[in-house]
Amino acid sequence: MSIDLNFIGILIGAIMASSVPLILAASGELITERSGVLNLGVEGMMIIGAISGFALMVVTDNLFFAVVGSMLSGLIISLIFGLLTQSLLTNHVATGLALTIFGIGMSAMIGKNFVGIPGKEFPLLFINLKESIPFLGPIFFGHSIILYFAFGLPFMTNYFLKKTKTGLIIRAVGDSPTSASNQGINVTLVRYSCILYGGAMCGLAGAYLSLIYTPQWIENMTGGRGWIALALVVFATWSPIKVLIGALIFGGITILQLHMQAIGLRIPVQLLSALPYIMTIIVLVVISRDSRKIKLNTPTSLGQIFYKEK
Amino acid sequence: MNTQLKVSKISKIYPGCIANDKVSLEFESGKIYALLGENGAGKSTLVKILSGVVKPDEGKVFLNNESIKLNSPLDAKKNNIGMVFQHFNLFETLSVFENLSIDSDKKDEDLRVLVNDILKKYNFKIDLDIPVLNLSAGQKQKVEIIRCLIRNPKVLIMDEPTSVLTEQETDDLFISLKQFSKDGILIIYITHKLKEVLSLCDEVAVMRKGKVVSVSNTIDEKIESLANKMVGENLNTIKKKINNFKNSEEILKISNLNFKSDDPYETNLNNLNLSLKKGECLGIAGISGNGQNELFQILSGEIITEGTSIMFRNKEIGKLNPRERREYLMAFSPEDRISQAAVPELKIYENVALNNFKSSNFFEKGLVNEKKIKEHSKKILSNFSVNTDNVELKSQFLSGGNLQKLIIGRELITSPELLVCFNPTWGLDVGAINYIHETLIQINEQGKSSILISTDNDELLKLSDRICVIYKGKLSKIMNADTVTAEKLGILMGGGSID
Repeated sequence: MSIDLNFIGILIGAIMASSVPLILAASGELITERSGVLNLGVEGMMIIGAISGFALMVVTDNLFFAVVGSMLSGLIISLIFGLLTQSLLTNHVATGLALTIFGIGMSAMIGKNFVGIPGKEFPLLFINLKESIPFLGPIFFGHSIILYFAFGLPFMTNYFLKKTKTGLIIRAVGDSPTSASNQGINVTLVRYSCILYGGAMCGLAGAYLSLIYTPQWIENMTGGRGWIALALVVFATWSPIKVLIGALIFGGITILQLHMQAIGLRIPVQLLSALPYIMTIIVLVVISRDSRKIKLNTPTSLGQIFYKEK
Repeated sequence: MNTQLKVSKISKIYPGCIANDKVSLEFESGKIYALLGENGAGKSTLVKILSGVVKPDEGKVFLNNESIKLNSPLDAKKNNIGMVFQHFNLFETLSVFENLSIDSDKKDEDLRVLVNDILKKYNFKIDLDIPVLNLSAGQKQKVEIIRCLIRNPKVLIMDEPTSVLTEQETDDLFISLKQFSKDGILIIYITHKLKEVLSLCDEVAVMRKGKVVSVSNTIDEKIESLANKMVGENLNTIKKKINNFKNSEEILKISNLNFKSDDPYETNLNNLNLSLKKGECLGIAGISGNGQNELFQILSGEIITEGTSIMFRNKEIGKLNPRERREYLMAFSPEDRISQAAVPELKIYENVALNNFKSSNFFEKGLVNEKKIKEHSKKILSNFSVNTDNVELKSQFLSGGNLQKLIIGRELITSPELLVCFNPTWGLDVGAINYIHETLIQINEQGKSSILISTDNDELLKLSDRICVIYKGKLSKIMNADTVTAEKLGILMGGGSID
């Protein structure tokens, strides 16, 4: 019996690990969107983060540089998005899509020389506790520091948005940039900062994939996770805690359906593969039914170009 | 302490328009000042300059004889100039308290105490912890005012504050403003409503076409004198000559028309009967929401009825859509200029093209004949004295009056036999109202007919040959206008009956 329990614990640990990139990317994008900017380039920023993290790890042999570098590269590529949408006032949707396409192409180009190189082992914390405590051990211990950070992030984001002055200003800008500007808030600066933060988080999400989750470089290794993160933000109605729930459900069902495929259930594989997407959307729609709350959480100016009257 | 505010030779030029032309004005605390002018006279630009939203091209602002720089809204705040805009600058999804705390340096607890004091002092009743989107327009305005009061303003500028308020809310606002003035705040009140100037303000400056044309004490002024200054010409009170249409040909006949709506918010129409003769204006009075919308839509073809119920020039048109009705020389000017009559994001000539019909030749083989549309649009702009000759201008940049002139012009330039208009002068300033009224009288003189659905009784009595009242979807007896008085209309509009 204890073996079964331990197995379930390991399963839960695996689910948590698989949801980390989604939590990181979605939490970053959530802040960006709360300021009224719709950045569809999440997938592109993630994959750039993945390749630059991996490349830096190979070149410098230092995981710290690799992680910081991946965040910086995500930040730099989001700066391009910021320049275009905030300073040159291009359309958010078109620019974001271009950013994704650019990111995927760019990462493939850089990554050509890194295919097939083995990754480095990433230090996992409390590894002895993981093995000595059945069931709870594999859930709570033996993870990378990035996982612990990711699971704290939605709560910190929630606190930041609701309780701090800066969070209030970000929400105000997302609600009405014109009013914010008339109140003397530098809308462009706020939006730039949120875009850069979102970019850094997406970069980190990418690095988690290439350094920890599957420590190697494979072309297109984000595999649409950026799009899932984007969808999570919307279906979670811009609530950080619901993003966490959504990411766990998605990760959970992804892992479970893989096990179901392995067992050989007589359900078409395609249906099983579609299951995480369907279930995540259903659950998030059901827990976010309160139309009043949706209205209050939705950044009213999302995707609108703002320019100041002169 | 006394506060003096002086603007000196302020100029602001936008492409194609001089918004402020060497504007100089002086204000002193203890008085309430009115800044009066038509839409587009330059009041809002001046106010935006004073609040730091817009930078002037020339000129200076002095506060207590010191020149101050107003490069951003923050500068205005630093100089204790508070501003309540016509369109609220609130964050709808944030709570009232969050809206107030966002630009305050105080601790939340201290701010709450301060706000509660203000609420008590001026007898405002607002729940601080509900989102702003749940407030009424009057309450939202109070939040804006509180936001200014928190900063101990020396100057409080109110831009067209009553345009969204009910009468009761307006009264409350005036009481508060007088109280602020007593407390030493200099108040500048921007409006185009003459009655408000006389009932609230001590001094009035009138602006026209970007210039200050007069400064005077309100005790020396009357509604007429202010109106004339505002418009710049003596307003001749037009009154229509009432004709006898006994021998004229009947152009429109509606018989036993019924309309039953599935939408609980719409009004059903019961057994409508009316007829209209060539050259006649039929006025339809009523309190809004008594079926005017539905009646307009039935006439314009937005609601299709049985073929036989509406006869226009001896043809059954009940089943025709608006475009087909235009082919039969009907024309329409709906109530909502922005969403029904024109597309604000489109350029002027594009809006003109929307009104196409077969004979217009605006489109050939599926292609847009831009040259033809532009020529046609230019003709409308000059014939109907719209205050621009740029057909490429987006319609949203036209003031209400100019947009209405454009719409009426678009409809009339095809010389229709019947014009149906619904509240054509709603929200317009005196000059534009006068122009529209003259135009409507003119078309009757040219032997064309009109139906005027309006909630403005003065307008109806001025323009109509015959009048009836719509009440709960039913039409009253149609009366000759010379036998109708405002009192009679009032009784019928309230559902009463007269002999």
